[in-house]
Amino acid sequence: MSPANLIARQSLRLTLRESTVLVIAALFVVLVLVSAWLGWRATATVNLIFTDAAAFLQSQGRALPPNPVLATSPLSLLRNVAVYVSLIGVLAAIVVGNRLIALDRRSGVLPLYGTRTGDSPAYATGKVLALVALMGTLTGIAAVVSAATLLALPAVPVTAGQWAQFWAFFVLSGLYLLAFGLVALGAAARSRSESVGLLLPVTLWLVLTFVLPSLTGNLLPTASINPVSALAAPPDAAFFQWSAWTFGSVSVAESYRYLSAGLLDFLPEGRLSPAAIPPLATLLIAVVAAFLWALRGLRTLDLTRSDYDV
Amino acid sequence: MPPSIIALDRLTQRFEDRTVVDALTFSIAEGEVFGFLGHNGAGKTTTLNMLTTLARPASGTATIAGADLVRDPNGVRRSIGFVPENVRLYDTLTAEENLMFFARLSDVPSPARRVRAVLELLDSLPYAGRRVGGFSKGMRQRIGLAQAILHQPKVLFLDEPTSGLDPMGIRMLRDLITRLNREFGMTIFMNTHLISEIAKTCTSIAVLSHGRLVFHDRIEAVTARYGDDAALEELYLSVTPDTSLAGAA
Repeated sequence: MSPANLIARQSLRLTLRESTVLVIAALFVVLVLVSAWLGWRATATVNLIFTDAAAFLQSQGRALPPNPVLATSPLSLLRNVAVYVSLIGVLAAIVVGNRLIALDRRSGVLPLYGTRTGDSPAYATGKVLALVALMGTLTGIAAVVSAATLLALPAVPVTAGQWAQFWAFFVLSGLYLLAFGLVALGAAARSRSESVGLLLPVTLWLVLTFVLPSLTGNLLPTASINPVSALAAPPDAAFFQWSAWTFGSVSVAESYRYLSAGLLDFLPEGRLSPAAIPPLATLLIAVVAAFLWALRGLRTLDLTRSDYDV
Repeated sequence: MPPSIIALDRLTQRFEDRTVVDALTFSIAEGEVFGFLGHNGAGKTTTLNMLTTLARPASGTATIAGADLVRDPNGVRRSIGFVPENVRLYDTLTAEENLMFFARLSDVPSPARRVRAVLELLDSLPYAGRRVGGFSKGMRQRIGLAQAILHQPKVLFLDEPTSGLDPMGIRMLRDLITRLNREFGMTIFMNTHLISEIAKTCTSIAVLSHGRLVFHDRIEAVTARYGDDAALEELYLSVTPDTSLAGAA
């Protein structure tokens, strides 16, 4: 096994023994489960009421109205998942990214890597591989749970095109989580203290999730992550038109929200992102930038230091 | 006199404009237990970082077991083991799991068998299945030593190995170092500022002050000339300027 794969495997083993990581990842999966159950329950209830009503109307010899369940896309039932990815999913990604490096620094083992792998890219590659595997697993579990819900929904057929949208949404969510995980990885490698290494990505997450969307989507920060109401358009004022166009290009959370809404069929008809750069491009640029940030941090990590500064 | 296994040739390190290790030139014979003394900030750890390939020298080089530090760092890595100061290893893994990982990373053949053999050698086999997080400082240091000798290196580097150990731990470590040297012919390079340890363990010493080598001799010659441990302390203080107390960090 190559040193990079060995380091990745060891990192996975270590991270999965961390109670903080397990709790936050479990919370994410539970929330996805709850979201799926709520969607399933609501649809099943409406369908049940419709079936009863249809039987009654038929007995009266009256015409049947269309089933309201069939009027909406089954994918829109998963809209809450997009919120959980933005909130608890990203927090899980940040914690995982941080622990992947912080555990090594706290254990004083960096010189042991340095005297074995030297300045080869094995350490950086191993850590990025471990992060990709963990984010992939987390997103994969969420996808399987959501897919099971869609399959179990009564009277709601999911077309092949919708399945493609479904998987595209989870690939996108995986990339979104990976971006934050990489930021945390880079911050943990660059910072001189453990707390700063965690605070930095958390601050970035707060800014991207709550501050920027208030300038690019709506004045209310909570509205920017609310999947129940339709996506809010920027207020019709020159300043907000300008800020949405300008900051929208760097508002990664807002871009993810637009892309999710499009893929899960809850984007209002005709609504386009007001940002100068298309949302997909913003997200991809963010992933690449986060990757470069993490790589630079890992490649410049001082392997001679066996601990954090105190 | 056995051939030299470590030879430093004008080894120099600079941080920005400051020279922290200044053209060190000396050699250490195979099978020695070498004590590298110096005040805090003298440049001992910086020298060790260069010799263990963790830091590239600003100029000069060194040869370890025939491999050049600058031209063939991987060759050097194959011949050395390193126990950093305050190595704690992974708390949530057992001693055996920690060692298995580092054995595989060092490309040790039959790692499981080798790990058991090293644990047995260090009288630590009963602790193999226990998590390192629950170990005492002395026990951690023993496992730290185990990871350094898994690949049977010719030279073992130790950075302040007795730092934070109680007298029992110090004695245990001293015995282990002596055993590794006598039974396996391992050359030991030990950074320390504890003169008493040098006198009890080392066969040769060097003193570093403000990045410069100010003394280097065999321990018999030192004790013959200066007498007991107290005289060794006198020697150390005489070659180390008072400014070290207020000096380099």
